[in-house]
Amino acid sequence: MVSLRNIPIKNLKSNPGKTTAILIFTALMAAAVFGGTLIVRGMQQGLANVRTRLGADILVTPADAKNEFDAQTFLIQAEPGYFYMDASVLDEVRAVEGVDKASPQLFLASATASCCSAKLQIIAFDPETDFTIQPWIRETFGGAQKLGLLDVIVGANVTVYDDYILRLYNNDCRVIGQFAPTGSTLDNAVYTNFETIKVLIDSSFDTKLNKCQSFDTNDVISSVMISLKDGYDAENVAETIESTISGVSTATSKKMVSGIVESLNSISGTVRAFIVIFCLLGTLMTVLLFALMISERKKEFASLSIIGASKRILYRMVAEESAYVNLTGGLLGIILSAVLILGFSNLIGQKLEIGFALPDAGQITIFALFTLGLVMLAAILSALIAAKQVSSPDTGLILKEGE
Amino acid sequence: MALTAKSIRKDFYRAGKNSNIFTAVQMLDLELEQGKMIEITGRSGSGKSTLLNMLAGILNPTSGRILLDEVDLYALDDEKRSRLRNEKIGLIPQGHTALLGLTVLENVLLPAVLYSNGSAPEQRAADLLRQVGLIEMDNEKPNALSGGELRRMAVARALLMQPKIILADEPTAGLDEENIISVMGLLRNAADDGAAVLLVTHENEAAQFADEILHMDGGHFI
Repeated sequence: MVSLRNIPIKNLKSNPGKTTAILIFTALMAAAVFGGTLIVRGMQQGLANVRTRLGADILVTPADAKNEFDAQTFLIQAEPGYFYMDASVLDEVRAVEGVDKASPQLFLASATASCCSAKLQIIAFDPETDFTIQPWIRETFGGAQKLGLLDVIVGANVTVYDDYILRLYNNDCRVIGQFAPTGSTLDNAVYTNFETIKVLIDSSFDTKLNKCQSFDTNDVISSVMISLKDGYDAENVAETIESTISGVSTATSKKMVSGIVESLNSISGTVRAFIVIFCLLGTLMTVLLFALMISERKKEFASLSIIGASKRILYRMVAEESAYVNLTGGLLGIILSAVLILGFSNLIGQKLEIGFALPDAGQITIFALFTLGLVMLAAILSALIAAKQVSSPDTGLILKEGE
Repeated sequence: MALTAKSIRKDFYRAGKNSNIFTAVQMLDLELEQGKMIEITGRSGSGKSTLLNMLAGILNPTSGRILLDEVDLYALDDEKRSRLRNEKIGLIPQGHTALLGLTVLENVLLPAVLYSNGSAPEQRAADLLRQVGLIEMDNEKPNALSGGELRRMAVARALLMQPKIILADEPTAGLDEENIISVMGLLRNAADDGAAVLLVTHENEAAQFADEILHMDGGHFI
């Protein structure tokens, strides 16, 4: 039955056209604010993850690996690839002033052939010296994870179908874990130790699917990850390495993420502009439509006044109507954009060509509350403007209008 | 309980090239007593409705006072005046005054839910709807009602709180003979039960029910 509490809802239902229009504009506004914030934060999170996971100040690769390795795009759009240089480079790098830690890595790409489950980047690290992948393993699995022969850990985007077995060059590798997403190409890789990758490289030669000439796997490495001593500038040390060690090129972590930073700045600027435009337009439209709806119902409010409703009751009704319609629209917008962004986060990352990692549930909740706060500000503004329509000191004059 | 108007006047400002003031009600005194039904007649524009709205507390007089017993209506703040109107005055205004989102029964119940969280007097509302011949339409929305039916709904709504003062502006406008008698009978009964009733009309149907008939022209009683 009728009560002061349910009159605003009944009023909104009796104006389905305008109520729906306000709902749509509010939902669009909320979707733009919440979705846009989530995307910008997701990109920032992706960049932070990549920075953390990169873990090295400088990456040394063979100088002739230009076709396989582009520092600017390696972390966001690299195809699986591999290249090799003499293992003696490691000792030469260690001898350079300013180098604190240096750890070799060995790469291989699996093939799209029956010998392999999928085409994947395989990255091997040296457990004795590694300082980039093992901290990640410790963080993910809550302690050191010993990798035995043919044991691998896979990135977040690697799908394993057959009982945790990944077939690589006719070797059944045991998947002992999977990393959380970083939003970069690191999610598409398979991680293992030197012992295992050497078996895989030998097998790749056996299957004749390795593009390189056969070599002794004990004599080669693909890259050297470098951590610098305090006080040394990465650019200067990288320059020294390139000038003193022949046949290598270097990439600093700053250079490697610079592509991401540029894209991030450009995309987030655009997204922020969209948020502001949608916010302003959404607020304007909801305020106008709501004021129009209340104005058309001035006589209804006058009817309430003649039966004894005070201005306080009328304002309350207007405020509740505004709050209900904006809150509902806001929630719809948030739910819609959350479903789309959470459901298609991988696709968004690929389309943006930038690291994209969803923020945690706590942050998502804060963004949702922030969005609802903005929507409610629009509701308050709508109510304040609409309240003027029902605040005539002489109800008698409103009743005479149109008679 | 009595409603008294003391030297009330109402001026309206006419917008236009040569702005001037139009006085709708001029220095007028009136007393509505318990158990009495007064009818005010007059042609359109004579000031009847303006007077009634001032008496109801929904149109500020330019000068003068409206007293409900000893309480000056316009000396009260909006909250107190509205509450007093809700409890003591049943107003039937001109035109159609319904909330379109509510059913007929809910519209009639409205005065009872503004300041009370208790259960609404549904039985009394249904009885009133029966008396004005609308009980079959209690669940309809106002859009489904004719003009005459909306007037009868407004009568039922005004009587719900058993007000001590009833102010009716053309309550029988657009009604057929049978419904005029039914509505006037209801108002007469309210007066007989102790309410002070004021009718504003430019028709003669109410004359046989009223205790006193006043004529108004140019903002004066004549």
